[in-house]
Amino acid sequence: MNSEIWVVANLKGDGQIRKVTFEVLSEAKKKLQGPVCAVLLGSGVGDRVSELGRYGAEKVYVVDNQNLKDFNPDGYVKALAELVSRHSPAIVLSGNTAFTEDYMPRVATAVGSGLAMDCVEIGMTEDSRLRIKRYSHSSRAISTQEFHGDGSTMIATVRPNSFFKEQESPAQPQVVNEDVSLSEADIRIKVLELKTKESDRPELTEAERVVSGGRGLGSEENFKHIYDLADLLGAAAGATRAAVDAGYCPYDMQVGQTGKAVSPVLYVAVAISGSVQHFSGMGSSKVIVSINKDPEAPIFAKSDYGICGDLFEVLPPFTEELKKALAAE
Amino acid sequence: MKIVVFVTQTQDTEARIKVGSSGDSIDMEGMKWIMNPYDEFAVEEAIKTKEAHGGEVVLVTAGPQRASQTLLQGLAMGADSAVHISDESLADAVDSFVISKLVASELKKIEGIDLIFTGMKIIDEESVQVGIQIAEELGIPHLALVSKVIRVDPDGKKLICQKEIDGGSVSVEVSLPVLITCPDAMNEPRYASVPNIMRAKKKPMKTVSLDEIDFAGAGLSKEAVNKAGAKIKTVSLEVPEVSRKLRIIKGSDDSTVKGDEVASAARELAKLLKEDAKVI
Repeated sequence: MNSEIWVVANLKGDGQIRKVTFEVLSEAKKKLQGPVCAVLLGSGVGDRVSELGRYGAEKVYVVDNQNLKDFNPDGYVKALAELVSRHSPAIVLSGNTAFTEDYMPRVATAVGSGLAMDCVEIGMTEDSRLRIKRYSHSSRAISTQEFHGDGSTMIATVRPNSFFKEQESPAQPQVVNEDVSLSEADIRIKVLELKTKESDRPELTEAERVVSGGRGLGSEENFKHIYDLADLLGAAAGATRAAVDAGYCPYDMQVGQTGKAVSPVLYVAVAISGSVQHFSGMGSSKVIVSINKDPEAPIFAKSDYGICGDLFEVLPPFTEELKKALAAE
Repeated sequence: MKIVVFVTQTQDTEARIKVGSSGDSIDMEGMKWIMNPYDEFAVEEAIKTKEAHGGEVVLVTAGPQRASQTLLQGLAMGADSAVHISDESLADAVDSFVISKLVASELKKIEGIDLIFTGMKIIDEESVQVGIQIAEELGIPHLALVSKVIRVDPDGKKLICQKEIDGGSVSVEVSLPVLITCPDAMNEPRYASVPNIMRAKKKPMKTVSLDEIDFAGAGLSKEAVNKAGAKIKTVSLEVPEVSRKLRIIKGSDDSTVKGDEVASAARELAKLLKEDAKVI
């Protein structure tokens, strides 16, 4: 085994590197001992190398293969497992996204590794084993876990917004182009139709501010209040399961145990009662603000700030006050 | 069709939890154990598929003796039989590497599996990985977060479904066998009626002890099935006290703000966010 620490880049649909990748690079550089390298897997991604260098990657392994398009797990599993087997890095890290949750478990099995997912802290023991913290029990408990240290590569994914990204002085990393034995026949899942929607708002899992609405919004039209407040704050828009089930907004806005786990600096919960399941997805937010007309709503006991009031009465003057406060910056 | 559902018994995470005396796990005293809620959607989907296309539904779990309750629940919902890999050492959180190998080694003994369903996440450990790792062990594809199975073609041995991805959804086609992980948007799980609960007790449930596991074939050492041999071990666990500022602005009667109170509450909250929290 060599001592390299790999950070596998997380890409968006347009090929851009997600912010979480830079967060993981910065934190690995700070907390772990060993050369920090990046891994870039994709189709037509070679020009992203220098960005990875700016955030601390000394070396970038690049697999540019047309079978790595459309985020098909089969291709990524084969490519990454082959690379890990070839080079035996000490540690493989990546941002925790729906896609890494999809393919990284198979990579771990394929190379005989342990896997810790959605970690919020990373570190090392004195004998160079990976030590992480992650939430469990609907985010009500947090466990410290250590890899056993049997010589296999240690793999972990990291929750977005857990660390700060710190740009280092620009340095051109060493580029290592890798071939993998990946062919069309390896791709078992055939994509018939890809439906992604463009949004000007930041992505939920990466946003520093999130504004979410619950069933109390009452209709799809009323969710406009959530979108307006989100846009004013430059925030992502989220929702509870109840609001999604009621058809007020799409599933990809769902925050909670089933939906997305978010960890923003500011979380504004509008007409959300605050179930255990919802808290499971946003309980680690730094500042929680709630607006709810029910004085007994459980969310008030878990909020930093809030107003007990009807959202339709409170939001218009609150929005105006926020505008003034933002303008005075 | 032969349909398998991998189910797990979990702690009820809505229950009150505290750290046990060992400091590395939850206190099990008086713990309520339930079928992992996402597995209920998996069982429902399996039964629906069987109702549409015929065949049988086999449940499989790995856990201590008490996990048979979860199998009984699935049988009462309508599954036909169950396999229980049973050992008290499986009561402790065993990492996904071990569980997936144990379960896959039993599934390899079942011939002609077309579909495997399992929940998208196990709620106590918040693990999304075990099911997917079983698919890798079996060398079959998987589809995570399937929101809707659009068409199953048992004769052509293929399936079309819609799954959720970052920023949208995708329709895909895959050849059987395939493993599918189920979110809660997928269906409405049925309740087990009292007569069906009685009937469930008569359905076949096979108990497999660790002595019957082909450890060499599974690529595991028998010692792996305890904390010391796992790939990852929990060294400590905390249930942090929620320490929030709790500065909730209420109306004069300690209730909702009304009338003039609304404007001043809005002003005060904006001020708090700017000056106290410093988030805007």
